[in-house]
Amino acid sequence: MGLLDIFRGKLTDPTAYPGVHKGGDVITTTVDAVVKWGRKSSLWPMPFGTACCAIEFMAMTASHYDIARFGAEVLRFSPRQADLMFVAGTIVEKEGPVLKTIYDQMPEPKWVVSMGVCASSGGFYRSYHVMQGIDEIIPVDVYVPGCPPSPEALIAAVMKIQERITNGEQVKRPQGEHRLGAPGDGAIDRRARRAAWAREDAERARAGLPPRGVIPLRVIPSDPDTNPDHG
Amino acid sequence: MASATETPPAPTEATSPAARVLKEALGGEVLKVEEFRGDLAITVVPSAWVRAATLLKTRPELDFKLFLDLCAVDHLDDEDRPKRFEVVLHVYSVSGKHHARLKVGVSEANPRLPTLTGVYRGANWFEREAWDLYGIVFERHPNLTRILTHHHFVGHPMRKDYPTAQRHVLPDPQTWLLKVPEGSEHLVVNIGPSHPAMHGTFRVQALMDGETIVDAAAEIGYMHRNFEKMAEVRTYWQIIPYTDRLNYCSSFMNGHGWALAVEKLMGIHAPPRAEAVRVILSEFSRIMDHFVCIGTNVVDLGAITPFFYLFRVREEIYDLLEACCGARLTVSYVRIGGLAQDVPEDFADRCRRLIDSVRKYTDETDRLVTRNTIFARRFKDVGTMPAEEALDWGWVGPCLRGSGVAYDIRKDHPYSGYEQYDFDVPVGTVGDCYDRYLVRLEEIRQSLRIIEQAVAKLPGGPIIVDDKKVALPPKEQVYSNIEALMNHFKLVYEGILAPPGEVYGYTEAANGELGYYIVSDGRKFPRRLKVRPPCFNIYQAYPEMIKGGLLADAVAIIGGLNVIAGELDR
Repeated sequence: MGLLDIFRGKLTDPTAYPGVHKGGDVITTTVDAVVKWGRKSSLWPMPFGTACCAIEFMAMTASHYDIARFGAEVLRFSPRQADLMFVAGTIVEKEGPVLKTIYDQMPEPKWVVSMGVCASSGGFYRSYHVMQGIDEIIPVDVYVPGCPPSPEALIAAVMKIQERITNGEQVKRPQGEHRLGAPGDGAIDRRARRAAWAREDAERARAGLPPRGVIPLRVIPSDPDTNPDHG
Repeated sequence: MASATETPPAPTEATSPAARVLKEALGGEVLKVEEFRGDLAITVVPSAWVRAATLLKTRPELDFKLFLDLCAVDHLDDEDRPKRFEVVLHVYSVSGKHHARLKVGVSEANPRLPTLTGVYRGANWFEREAWDLYGIVFERHPNLTRILTHHHFVGHPMRKDYPTAQRHVLPDPQTWLLKVPEGSEHLVVNIGPSHPAMHGTFRVQALMDGETIVDAAAEIGYMHRNFEKMAEVRTYWQIIPYTDRLNYCSSFMNGHGWALAVEKLMGIHAPPRAEAVRVILSEFSRIMDHFVCIGTNVVDLGAITPFFYLFRVREEIYDLLEACCGARLTVSYVRIGGLAQDVPEDFADRCRRLIDSVRKYTDETDRLVTRNTIFARRFKDVGTMPAEEALDWGWVGPCLRGSGVAYDIRKDHPYSGYEQYDFDVPVGTVGDCYDRYLVRLEEIRQSLRIIEQAVAKLPGGPIIVDDKKVALPPKEQVYSNIEALMNHFKLVYEGILAPPGEVYGYTEAANGELGYYIVSDGRKFPRRLKVRPPCFNIYQAYPEMIKGGLLADAVAIIGGLNVIAGELDR
């Protein structure tokens, strides 16, 4: 690897540089790489904990799992001082604007971990007051499945975030913003879907069409001349 | 052992004093008195609603001072009922040691009822909830506004004809909870919902005169995830995972309460081994819950060391739960009529080791916190709640016992074999934050005593009731003979069919009386499931408690009340 490669920024992790210069006290790298390395090793998480997941989040920060080993133990309850948000728990409609405000208050660059199925997709609360995934309103970098996820899964998510920081990746737009306020007509609720089907069937009946999904049975007449294989 | 197929006892002429007094005083205005599985239900006409409640509370021989619950039920499509809605009140008499249920029919065309806030202070938020979810107007209610859903919500979602997934987006949060007087120079401080002291989901607005709070208002519903609506389209089994997420600090206890409530409805009893294991795990869950409460409370006051100590031993309790059922936090271990599977072979040894460990860390925390001057000054004589007021609000559990009322369901109405164990019920004398803390700490030690005794005489035998209509057959039989296969299929497909009727099952959860009011119409889903959440009553008193105190005290008080959002908003 030559000097030109270093200037082009091919080295991303100074610790992974194979040959430290003779004497061991000089490492050549790029500013970008050093900044990224610093960022990923000193994440300041902001816990946005609302429900059961917050308890497992606390378990991750407490003595047994000890997130300090990954350099992310400085929990900040002020969004102004944080660069990684953990959304731990169900987010309901009432909480939505609050979450959005908090996210907007975080300085760039920022990353979001959606912890648990409730935050990721609404989970098994598929009902009138639960947001079906926080990505309706804010971008999400890493989704962690589980109800609630184990602390190990959460640590894996922190490592994924560190990977993303190294690669310079960051989501900018909410992935599911098109779903915002989806009324559930046909999309979410079984009963609403059935009602929508019934409406469509009635419309088709008025137009003289059979209901969608019903395949009309065509009886082939038994005629040995034209169709010798039949019957 | 009673079987699930046993017909429920016919409603008899009630012998209880409540029915007698109400009949004497109100005469024909008492429409009917029903009894089902030992629960007494008195139905009155709407015009006698407030008078009946007043009688229940004030007559000395009745003494129903503890307000428990008020909820509405929607009987849409029920041909036998002339009125669509029903409003149900649950109260308890600490001196007489019994519950009572008062019901009134409300028509769809004119859903109006006089408010009970003049009788029980605790009815305030419950009536707001009934208005929010069912659209029942309580006349002369001081503040009849939406409480669980948001102010842009359209419709009343718990009505049977409201589609479950019909959402309404909230574009902007409600800015003002308080009415600031014109020309006032006081400062409004908004705390929460995203504030570390508010644990993520509570919001309080305080009107400050310097450091003193002169007025306060709370908003809840930041965690309203519709457990009750979801339960109306779930079978009795499928509801078990939802109950885990009510009070998620002690999930097992919620499932325990739910199983007992359904067993009461079915008229069955779990085998002794299952009951003993339930007691052991419930008590460990109570310990975990108190650990979270004490740990986070002192974190809010600035001490982080006890939090690390207590969470360390919590991990050890998690290990026990994980060994039993494979999950750490949300366990889903109970089944109707027993438990999902037997405990591991080394269960008793694990429990004994755990008891030592819990005792060690509890003592350590006790030494760190209890006599700490800073802590004592922040806690003593802060947030004092007199016993009479606590009953009126409907406080239960450690908070009520901190105020000096020795009401513990494990002692007063033993369930799951609590009568076999020897333990004490700690009570406070002042009713301040310090008393509530001491009660919790002592309860941890009493729980350890119960566990020790339960482990010492852990009975053998089956882990789930032998009843084909309730429990799944063993897997090896399902794979080897057709009857068991059919049985399995039918039970999974049709669910448990409970007899028509309504019961109120209650247990002593970590925060107090956790009640499940189940209305069954004989189908596989409950028609109505109302959780009587201990936190709802407790948090309701919070804005009143912090008035006149310092802002810093408000933080100390809320941590000690141990309000859990999942249970508060359901």
